[in-house]
Amino acid sequence: MLAFIVRRIITTIPVMAFVALFVFSLLYIAPGDPAAIIAGDQASPADVERIRASLGLDRPYLVRFGEWFFRVLQGDLGTSIFTSLPVTQLIAQRIEPTLSLMVLTLILAVSVAVPLGVVAAWKAGTWIDRAVVAFAVFGFSVPVFVVGYLLAYVFALKLDWVPVQGYTPISQGLWPWFQNLILPAVTLGLVYVALIARITRATMLDVLQQDYIRTARSKGVAQNSILFLHALKNAAVPIITIIGIGVALLIGGAVVTESVFAIPGLGRLTLDAILRRDYPVIQGVVLIFSFVYVLVNLAIDLIYTLVDPRIRY
Amino acid sequence: MTVQHPAPVPGDLAVAPELPDVLKARKPLTGFTGFLRKNPSIAIGGVLLLIMFFIALFAPWLGTVDPTAISTARRTRVPSELYWFGTDMLGRDIYSRVMYGARVSLLVGFSVAILASIAGLVIGLFSGFVRWSDGIIMRVIDGMMSIPPILLAIALMALTRGSVQNVIIAITIAEIPRVARLVRGVVLSLREQPYVDAAIAAGTRTPMIVFRHILPNTLAPMSVQATYICASAMIVEAILSFIGAGVPPATPSWGNIMAEGRALWQVKPHIILFPAIFLSLTVLAVNMLGDGLRDALDPRMAKRL
Repeated sequence: MLAFIVRRIITTIPVMAFVALFVFSLLYIAPGDPAAIIAGDQASPADVERIRASLGLDRPYLVRFGEWFFRVLQGDLGTSIFTSLPVTQLIAQRIEPTLSLMVLTLILAVSVAVPLGVVAAWKAGTWIDRAVVAFAVFGFSVPVFVVGYLLAYVFALKLDWVPVQGYTPISQGLWPWFQNLILPAVTLGLVYVALIARITRATMLDVLQQDYIRTARSKGVAQNSILFLHALKNAAVPIITIIGIGVALLIGGAVVTESVFAIPGLGRLTLDAILRRDYPVIQGVVLIFSFVYVLVNLAIDLIYTLVDPRIRY
Repeated sequence: MTVQHPAPVPGDLAVAPELPDVLKARKPLTGFTGFLRKNPSIAIGGVLLLIMFFIALFAPWLGTVDPTAISTARRTRVPSELYWFGTDMLGRDIYSRVMYGARVSLLVGFSVAILASIAGLVIGLFSGFVRWSDGIIMRVIDGMMSIPPILLAIALMALTRGSVQNVIIAITIAEIPRVARLVRGVVLSLREQPYVDAAIAAGTRTPMIVFRHILPNTLAPMSVQATYICASAMIVEAILSFIGAGVPPATPSWGNIMAEGRALWQVKPHIILFPAIFLSLTVLAVNMLGDGLRDALDPRMAKRL
């Protein structure tokens, strides 16, 4: 087991190295000369050259990559061109709303989607099943910002149940935090629910046809117990896999959701950075998000062994 | 004259009784219409998509005006007989912009689907057949897939100017890994098939095996994947344009129209509403087409997903 964990962690190293190389190249080939920007409009070409040399921008690609990578390992993601603040500091300021949004969405989505998929498979062929399948197709087709504006218009503007936009830090109370975050979480969660419900239904349909389910039925095990203990447990691996893969949807969707609901999170930071062409910030955010995504999927590989004792590495 | 029912034959009990009308003979569904009736989601998705294509092609003749014409006198009008979908902040006619916007969405969706399929096919076939390259290519693909696609497209767009062409390239790059991995998986399983062994034993050259025996079998899963890529590309294009990293603001695209309506959505929701409806319908059409195609091509999966 320990050997497996170590081996699995080692396989993420080339992946992370590639991501780092890609993200570094992004800055390297980015248009605009950082030295010229820092020097300002009045600088002579000699000044620009001097700044370039002092920043080490005149050295070869791989040397600069090595140095940059070494600094990243020490937790230094560079300095924002626009605000002159360290990128790590900018990210640290913005991470709470994004993390809150993603964790709340994850919890809500999984607790809705899995029962939905189970019921659809149990009632396969009935109108409940059809409704779940139709909902899944719908969920994939309506873009996240459309859902966001629709929900905000109905529940915040017209019904006035929750605040329209903004974010309240969790330190100011759980209820205001939740009130502000519930609409964005439902918005972001819709496509995620569609994805998980669809896979849950498909896997459960498979499992419910197995012999041991029939055996359980014939010996009189209660329906709920069959569904959730016998069947769902055996369908767990694909469902957990898709929950992990779907985190990519959450990350991409968070950028959009935050701009719809004016949440000052990492997504907002990314958008501002793009509009200002602040490449170190873009680099930092892409790196952090990818790193989170890789870690989530690493964790999921390790969870397999917990839910399914048949998996032994 | 009315049709007469056959008179009962008196005395002869051997005559088979008339069957009740309950069990009507079912005509086998054949031909193109039969195919569509068996796969209603292909029919519905196809018709919806054809309508969108029609709108895109004939946008100038659908009662539209110049979609970029600015008029400060008629800003943010609500929908009326004169301006069917209202006007935006600069007084441009939203109906015209939405009609023309179909062009950008369909162009991006289908270009990305085609380009990503071709590139993914080539990479997947190469990776599946040239053993030494497999490890390297798969690590690169793992790396690319660990960057969420929208984020990857955003990062690529940050490098270049906003243009339809650049949006297509950025989304294509973000989508290629998925196709490549799918094709590689199919190739690896096909390689183990007896008929491929037989072809190798018969001395068939590798290019011939690839084109004759492997390629045709990858086309079914790939065409399904291509429709999903098309749908996702349209959404990503709208997202990129919406956040200001997509096609240039002057170009009427559904994402751009929504981006322009963003500041006013609380008071003038119609600016966002109409492009949102058209975008959702188009993506729905492509998704239904993809689902129908998947069920038709792989009947075993039809009842499951």
